[in-house]
Amino acid sequence: MKSLSYLAGPILAFSAVLPTQPAPSAVLNVPVAARVITFVHPAPVGVVPVAIVYEPGNAASEADAADMERALSNGITIGRATLRTRRVAVSNLGQLSGVKAAFVTTGLRAYQDEVAAAAGAQSVLTITADSACVISGKCVVGITSPNRTQIIVSKAAARRSGIRFGSAFLMLVKEV
Amino acid sequence: MRYHTSLRLAATAILPLVAMPVHAQRMDYDLLSQTMGEPVTKSVTGKPQRQSESPASTIVINHEQILRSPAKDVPSLLNTYAGIDVNHWTAGQSDIAVRGGVQTYNPRLLVLVNGRQVYLDHYGMTDWNLLGIQLEEIQQIELVRGPVGALFGFNAASGVVNIITIDPLASRKIFATAEAGNHGYGRIAGALSMPVSSGVGLRVSGGHMRENERAIPADQIQPARADDVIRDDVSATVDADLDAQTQLSVTGGYARNRQLELLVTQIYSEQLYRTRNIGVHVDRDTPWGSITAQVYNNWLDARYGIGSNDPGRAPIAALQTFDLSARTSVAQTSALVRLSGDDTARIGVEYRDNRVDSGVTFSRITDYSVLSANAMLDVRVADPLSVNLAGRIDTLSLAQSGTIAAITANTARDFDRSFTAFSFNAAAVYQLGGRQTVRLNGGRAVQAPSLVVFGMNIPVAFVGVPLPVVVAGDPAIKPVEVWSAELAYDYRISDALEIKTVAFFTRTNNAIAYPGDNPVLEIHGVTDPFLVTRVANIGNFRTYGVELSARGAIRDHVTWRANYSFTQTDEALPGNARGIEYSFLPGEATARHKANLVIDYSDARWSGSVVGRYTSATRQLSTRPDTFLDLFDVSAALALDAKVGVRLSRTVSAWVAGENLTHASGAAGSPLPADTRLRSGVSLSF
Repeated sequence: MKSLSYLAGPILAFSAVLPTQPAPSAVLNVPVAARVITFVHPAPVGVVPVAIVYEPGNAASEADAADMERALSNGITIGRATLRTRRVAVSNLGQLSGVKAAFVTTGLRAYQDEVAAAAGAQSVLTITADSACVISGKCVVGITSPNRTQIIVSKAAARRSGIRFGSAFLMLVKEV
Repeated sequence: MRYHTSLRLAATAILPLVAMPVHAQRMDYDLLSQTMGEPVTKSVTGKPQRQSESPASTIVINHEQILRSPAKDVPSLLNTYAGIDVNHWTAGQSDIAVRGGVQTYNPRLLVLVNGRQVYLDHYGMTDWNLLGIQLEEIQQIELVRGPVGALFGFNAASGVVNIITIDPLASRKIFATAEAGNHGYGRIAGALSMPVSSGVGLRVSGGHMRENERAIPADQIQPARADDVIRDDVSATVDADLDAQTQLSVTGGYARNRQLELLVTQIYSEQLYRTRNIGVHVDRDTPWGSITAQVYNNWLDARYGIGSNDPGRAPIAALQTFDLSARTSVAQTSALVRLSGDDTARIGVEYRDNRVDSGVTFSRITDYSVLSANAMLDVRVADPLSVNLAGRIDTLSLAQSGTIAAITANTARDFDRSFTAFSFNAAAVYQLGGRQTVRLNGGRAVQAPSLVVFGMNIPVAFVGVPLPVVVAGDPAIKPVEVWSAELAYDYRISDALEIKTVAFFTRTNNAIAYPGDNPVLEIHGVTDPFLVTRVANIGNFRTYGVELSARGAIRDHVTWRANYSFTQTDEALPGNARGIEYSFLPGEATARHKANLVIDYSDARWSGSVVGRYTSATRQLSTRPDTFLDLFDVSAALALDAKVGVRLSRTVSAWVAGENLTHASGAAGSPLPADTRLRSGVSLSF
């Protein structure tokens, strides 16, 4: 048993001094966001329209939107769903009609109430990298990955949009 | 007629589902793992969990790793992980021990395929050639190191392996494989897994494998026959979404295996097994969690000691031909409930009935039923700290019926027995900044005596013993208790480097063992005296040690993992104080040091894997030609396995692979020296 104590000390000490990676910026992990859509109840099937909500003239928002489009160029098929994106300007949220999900770009904190109202009215699943939007109940899903993927789901926002997730997914995420 | 009526009723119930255009949420392991960025498992608590948040040490091997590996069976896949001892006793027979306690017919590792037990209750063992599925159709293999009795009950005493096949509703996969190699190795296999209509998926697979047995040295007793290992299997699953919340899965399968084995008495003997199974599984997702119900039946027909009764062969000890049939029936249901916040609770009940029908038991039928209740609570105490508590009560009731053996020392009243056992698991998981995890857990699990241990009654003739001898079970034998504790620290330093450290302690009380040499003999009978030697609780043993693992990526296409395990085994087995009276010596049989290094390469066209395996020397039990049991040296081994694969076109791939390329005799961990096995194959996939 003595050999254990000899081994455990150096290992833990070595591990404690190792540096961690710097946290990446809050950019939506689009492949993860795309997969999250397929956990909605009932599971989406066929072509699923997805909006990219952005603010024209906002450089960060437009760059984010362009990155999202590139990540999902030509559509992406997950399970039995094929996602097709289209841009929706935050000033024209009526265009959310018919979409199942919306990726909310960075730089739209000032429009969270409008996005939440429109998404609720159109039963749209909103996904963002801004966890504050989810904690405040304005966005349905937040995805962050500074150290590892963390997914937050707002019960209030999900209820407002009539979104229900499978229980297996909910047991792996944090509900607020 | 009644049978046909039942079929019609079943068809009437199921056929309308085929046209039902609904899509329920399934537990898609692949999709969940990709979403969370790490493997997802239900095998520890019954709740879907990320591997890093699991309250016990788990190993998860995914589909791609399986295809890339040089291993050609599940034990060989698991052999390269820390804390796992794999002994390939013969070409076909393997046993896996978790954290020590190596023995043939290891009874303390429960093995499941899609939640259905493939562990065989008659002997308390797993025949890895009776899984009934093909490697290529496995989605992931999960192994929990340490007792998981609070979830799975009896026999998950040192761990559990859960093998999950590809979800036929998730995607279409069709393959056909042909392999050939030295030592007469040949294998063909195929599978189809695909949606067949909206909301209905079908999985069908089958395979045939054959290879030569290894050479048996002259210093060990030669078996009556040592034919090629043969494995044939076919299985099918129909998955259907009954509505947007409910999934139904109907499975069935047949498997056949003939192989030479080192029996529990450490004598080589050839066996033929046939298994059949059928089961129904229903999952219903609800706003508050999920409900699961499952019913299945496993049947086994086995012939032991093939050729032992051939003319000219004197029966020695347990070496004689006999048949037995066994049946396991299980019905279980559980509810998983999401409480407030991130907390979860589970409750479940289970009923099982195990019976064996044999001419070598006290009476024709030995039977036990088990009624169980279990519960689990997973609570996030504070944001970085979660606590998991789980408990289970199993009540076993033993019975027997049918014609009683002519010579026996037991009475029918001995089998009128029941006992209740409690299992628990408790764990605390503390997460630091999303990259570091500290885990402390402990538990108690119980290994039920097998049907053979309860009821065995084999008359044999021992050389030099003038009276008949009966090798008997003991209906009064105590169940085995396994206590464990584990302290673990995991650190994901970056996306390209992760280390895991575990210190563990396990104590096994009331270890059960079969008679060996100079066994304790009871004298029975007055007019026609006979001797009895029994299975027995022979004492306890404890294991403790450390497991160090690391994995990382060198470049885009190159990954590696390495591990080292130190296992100290201390025995206190009064039953073996005078020699090898019982055929179980875990201290001698468990390797003290094990180390593995695996380097994988994969790009769009080429894939490759090189595995280096080191195992320190052990001593394993086998029987000498003079019929006496002895310990045989198994030398330290540094074995090298490798596989190189190439994708020739979109549908065709080919590979060459080799196991134990260094020809290390101790690489199998068996008194039967290991040889070098090479193979090459081609696969069509659509």
